[in-house]
Amino acid sequence: MPGIVIDGRELEAEGGQTVMQVALAHDIPIPAFCWHPALSIAGNCRVCMVEVEGRGLALACNLPIYDGLKVHTDTEAVRNQRKLTLQFLTLNHPVDCGICDKAGECLLQDYHYAHNGSPSTSIDPKVHATKHYSLGSRIVLDNERCILCSRCVRFTREVSGSNVLGIKHRGDTSLVRPAEGRSLDDDPYSDNVIDICPVGALLSRAFLHQSRVWYLTTTPSVCPGCARGCTIDVWHRKPEWRLQAVATHRNHTIARVTPHENPAVNGPWICNKGRDLAALVERPRALEPMVKGEVVAMDQALEAARQAIAGAQRPLALVSSWGSNEELDAFKEHLAPRFSCAVKEDHRQQPNEPGDDHLLLRADKNPNTTRARALFGETPAAVPEGTDLVLVWGEGFDFDTIPDGVATIVLGAFDAPENGLAAVFVPLSIHTERAGHFTNFEGVVSAFAPCFPPPATVADAETVFPQLAPQGATS
Amino acid sequence: MSPRPPRRDYWNEPTLGWWERAYIFEIIRGLLTTNRVFWRNMGRWMTGRKGAVTSYYPEERRPDYARGNRGKHVLTQRPDGRPQCIACNMCATVCPAHCIEIEAGFDIEDTTHPKYPEAFAIDYARCIFCGFCVEACPEDAIRMVPDVPNLPGSDRHNMWLDKEHLMTWNPQQDVAKPYPPKGGLQK
Repeated sequence: MPGIVIDGRELEAEGGQTVMQVALAHDIPIPAFCWHPALSIAGNCRVCMVEVEGRGLALACNLPIYDGLKVHTDTEAVRNQRKLTLQFLTLNHPVDCGICDKAGECLLQDYHYAHNGSPSTSIDPKVHATKHYSLGSRIVLDNERCILCSRCVRFTREVSGSNVLGIKHRGDTSLVRPAEGRSLDDDPYSDNVIDICPVGALLSRAFLHQSRVWYLTTTPSVCPGCARGCTIDVWHRKPEWRLQAVATHRNHTIARVTPHENPAVNGPWICNKGRDLAALVERPRALEPMVKGEVVAMDQALEAARQAIAGAQRPLALVSSWGSNEELDAFKEHLAPRFSCAVKEDHRQQPNEPGDDHLLLRADKNPNTTRARALFGETPAAVPEGTDLVLVWGEGFDFDTIPDGVATIVLGAFDAPENGLAAVFVPLSIHTERAGHFTNFEGVVSAFAPCFPPPATVADAETVFPQLAPQGATS
Repeated sequence: MSPRPPRRDYWNEPTLGWWERAYIFEIIRGLLTTNRVFWRNMGRWMTGRKGAVTSYYPEERRPDYARGNRGKHVLTQRPDGRPQCIACNMCATVCPAHCIEIEAGFDIEDTTHPKYPEAFAIDYARCIFCGFCVEACPEDAIRMVPDVPNLPGSDRHNMWLDKEHLMTWNPQQDVAKPYPPKGGLQK
């Protein structure tokens, strides 16, 4: 095990590591644009230069450690080199931070203030390149801002495997471009290049000019899009920046979704469906409790449901695979003794949707099938003969399969025509409005927290189930 | 309930002599003052002159605003009449009262100014007229002029001026700081 000295600190390291990896593991800051922990080493940005005793300047990202290696990250020579490198990288950069969505989380901006600080010394006019080059329906590319670190190119080659992006031409006319006849739309993980872009060159169309990032805050959550259950950060507006006159819908809608790094589940990536979480949860909501289509108070609806359950002879419950572990446990405890239970697939794989693949995506498009199946068995969702009451929790159930004359109790969050036809309808809160845990297909449990307060007229499933249990049956 | 605080002595506590204590004489003196002013203004008004120094706000603005008065924001315009603002939100971010709200728009056809304010609103119920927004603006897009927001009303939640109101300023009139600037706009 080689010993290495960085800035006078003797550090333990493993053979095969680079200086950059050792420094990162010990919280020694070394700036880097092109180096990314999950990608191969390119060594083209030259900003991670450190001074090696007896050897002069060397790239930290590309320097394997050896016994007796002594590195300094903050000498006069290193500082000067960083400053010159940043001068070079900003030579043709338009410095249009005012209209750049990356401003506030931009590495070039941060390193400029930390290591350079002076305006360009060049007297030559800047080279102009393509602005707003379309890379498909999700991403636009601003070639003037690009510093040609090649992170996006390496991502499509090494991680997503789509090989869509490359760099063409030479010198200051170099451009990131898709391969002939290809588009980033082919890549279900394409939006990750927006996150790993160290500058504002790759921009999300969905988030383009929607908000400055410092108005937003994150809530850790879990993507419900498939059985992988990637941990994500849901970005929404900070309470102190609540809008009052203009575009007030932004106060309670998801601004964007980014991966929350989690080596146990998704590493630093998520797929494009996870980015579109807003499309999944911001659909028209069902907000009013109903009994036979008549809007009633929540107490009355719950009372009617309780009576229906108590009076049924052979009730069937279709359990949601979108319920959290806590909700499924509550259902198991309070209602399962009364019902014969079956696990329902709330969302199915669409014809144009990718199924299982090499990276993250799963064909099962429900976040908590594992836990639901563990509690309620593998029963397929079909209505058996003689059933006189069906409790449907969640969506994705074909109500035409219920024989005529069988009463239904529907617990759901979204607007659907069946809600009004049910004997009782109880509106529930959605995944971004409550806390809980999902168990993914590998058995890893991840927690999600509420981003927004739920509407006043809806209830959490976890609190509804104890109230639906027949009196005295469970207590 | 907490006990009332003891009465304090003030430096300008009025002292009443026997004349004031007699009450009626001072009341008559006060009424005479009211009458004198009333009839003087009435006389001027009936002879077609303006009485007193009353401004008929909001129909009429005072002509004697100080030159340094900065009572209202304006959004400057590009020569073609579109707002100079690029919706960078610097003013909204620096505003200590959080009273500026901007909704950005994107126009891919406009290559030099692809980002523009779709909506721009200032809450004059909360604005403290500090001028930080003018300082922060990188584009000289927001300025303050000697004027008032002109928002008489009884609802403090309805004191917003929107982009249309903020862009009514005619820049050619400001001789001290003409717009566009003399050297032309920087590219």
